[in-house]
Amino acid sequence: MTLRVLLRLVKRLVPVFLTILFIVWLYTYYGAWDYTIKNIPEFFKLVYEHFVLVIISMFCAALVGVSLGTMMTRKSMEKVSSAIMAVVNVWQSVPSLGVIAMAYGFLPLIGLSGIGMVPALIALFLQAVAPIVRNTYAGIDSVSKDVIEAATGMGMTRKQILFQIELPNAMPVIAGGVRTATAIIVGTAPLAFLIGGGGLGFWIFTGIALVDTGIMVAGAVPVALIAMLFDYCLSVSEKFLVSRGVRTNEVKMA
Amino acid sequence: MGIMLSLQKVTKIYPGAGHIKAVDELSFDLEEGEICTVVGPSGCGKTTAMKMINRLILITSGKIIINGRDISRLDTIELRRSIGYVIQNIGLFPNMTIGENIAIIPKLLKWNKAKIDEKVQQLLEIVNLAPDEYRDRYPNELSGGQQQRIGVARAMAGDPPIMLMDEPFGAIDPINREHLQNEFLKIQEKVKKTIVFVTHDIDEAIKMGDKICLLKDGRLVQFASPEEVLTYPKNDFVADFVGGDRTLKRLNLFTIKRAMKDNPPVIHQDETIDTACNMFSKTDTRYLIAVDGEGTLTGIIDKHGIPDKATRVKDAVAPTNAWLTAQSSLKDGLSEIFTHDYGFLVVVDDVKKVLGWLHTEDIKETLKG
Ligand SMILES: Nc1ncnc2c1ncn2[C@@H]1O[C@H](COP(=O)(O)OP(=O)(O)O)[C@@H](O)[C@H]1O
Ligand SMILES: [Mg+2]
Repeated sequence: MTLRVLLRLVKRLVPVFLTILFIVWLYTYYGAWDYTIKNIPEFFKLVYEHFVLVIISMFCAALVGVSLGTMMTRKSMEKVSSAIMAVVNVWQSVPSLGVIAMAYGFLPLIGLSGIGMVPALIALFLQAVAPIVRNTYAGIDSVSKDVIEAATGMGMTRKQILFQIELPNAMPVIAGGVRTATAIIVGTAPLAFLIGGGGLGFWIFTGIALVDTGIMVAGAVPVALIAMLFDYCLSVSEKFLVSRGVRTNEVKMA
Repeated sequence: MGIMLSLQKVTKIYPGAGHIKAVDELSFDLEEGEICTVVGPSGCGKTTAMKMINRLILITSGKIIINGRDISRLDTIELRRSIGYVIQNIGLFPNMTIGENIAIIPKLLKWNKAKIDEKVQQLLEIVNLAPDEYRDRYPNELSGGQQQRIGVARAMAGDPPIMLMDEPFGAIDPINREHLQNEFLKIQEKVKKTIVFVTHDIDEAIKMGDKICLLKDGRLVQFASPEEVLTYPKNDFVADFVGGDRTLKRLNLFTIKRAMKDNPPVIHQDETIDTACNMFSKTDTRYLIAVDGEGTLTGIIDKHGIPDKATRVKDAVAPTNAWLTAQSSLKDGLSEIFTHDYGFLVVVDDVKKVLGWLHTEDIKETLKG
């Protein structure tokens, strides 16, 4: 029994370990250590900026996405929600670089700066909010009508039904949306540098521009590690947020 | 035993449905502790009628009175919390454990934790699911029948005086359904709720109901006890609906106790054969029922089957299966009579003490009323 558990743990940990080993090797091979240590204050600043970009845009996207997705499932919103859904669907097919570029081009038109961290955050947010809205809507919509009727007939209020029944039952699907959103954000965050948004993209693009693989890897490797960190955090929090009674093996993707 | 639930000319017209009355001036009174089975063909308005009681469907006209109070004056949420509700498709909350599902209403009613835990325990016992084994499982880990029982337990958790059940056993296979019906009747013995029980199955309506409310096209056709509906169907529609075998169905409504004769020809197994022969000549019976000192059934003696060298009754007794308890239904009784050659059946109590005997004529008498 314990041997089986151990074996399963090993099976899961070995690929992670090998990946990290590979990354560290890459890092060492191209001399990224040296560059990083020489520029350690800048490294911390970039990592900090990167975290700010990812966490803030993620947080806002989750908050707005779940709220909007939930609102769209309310009876009174029926007509509006199909329109919002259409926008969301189109929006999700726009590539990340396109959204960054559009933020740069569009924000000045409404009197905001197109350069800096705020436009970068807005672009990331817009990218991430779509799958969350979509999955929240789909998740709540897919909660069995019988379950809702039972809850209503037993005397639960609208609010109780939303928080105790609808959201918990939609949680696996919502979590899937959040995962997709995180993947998008983590993948797009390095591009924020292009419009002056800061973050580790700075080193990546500098490395590319100077044809210096060492600098590029010094930026790319932390980006990869941060992505893995976020994915891990998400899978842990899902364990807490998703009830065992509604957990599915396949994670639904938007 | 006052009137608990009263429907007074209750009518429902769905908007935009061509002004057809889904329920048309339905009136009936239900006494405390009674089960009323609402039955009729599909689309006759059963569900609509039931859901107006907990205001899931708004009434078009008429009045519904619960315990003397017009429900339109009550707060909807409070009204619903005081009515147990079991829907056809069970509708357990998948995200909650069995224990949490059952505890939902008590929690809404703000009971304290100790009282809630006790209630969950007690209800799981009532529906025959071991509390320690099932409390922390999730609905998707239970069979359909088990889920349905939890659905019933959940509806009873807030101690509601009234329960509404919409085809609660509709989705369950016949064998399990019969089992659940019996269990539910046993539970009802203990809890004595006032229940509106919707079903499309007339046999279920007869079995479960103290009263049957038979609907057709939204209108009440007959409201009466199962016995009355079977004996005196109000019109051809009812007669048709209850089926050509309605007399046989009535057999289910009576226990053997009601029909049996309590003067069977009993003889102690230690008596001599001569005594037995004496009894045979005095009465015109071909069989005697042999008992021991406690009056417990030991077998049957056939007048034409007494061995030559028998001296005691004991030597002539043939053991028999032709007996049933007095609580069995007349249907089982009739079936048992036909299974054996005696033309009658020995009626016994729980410890097989002889109480009487039953002939087909007795059954006929009882059915005649
Ligand atoms: N929401 C609704 N809108 C319009 N008509 C309905 C609605 N619900 C039920 N009906 C109609 O009302 C009648 C009674 O329905 P229902 O009470 O569900 O019948 P039952 O439960 O006896 O099968 C049917 O003719 C049905 O088509
Ligand atoms: Mg129905």
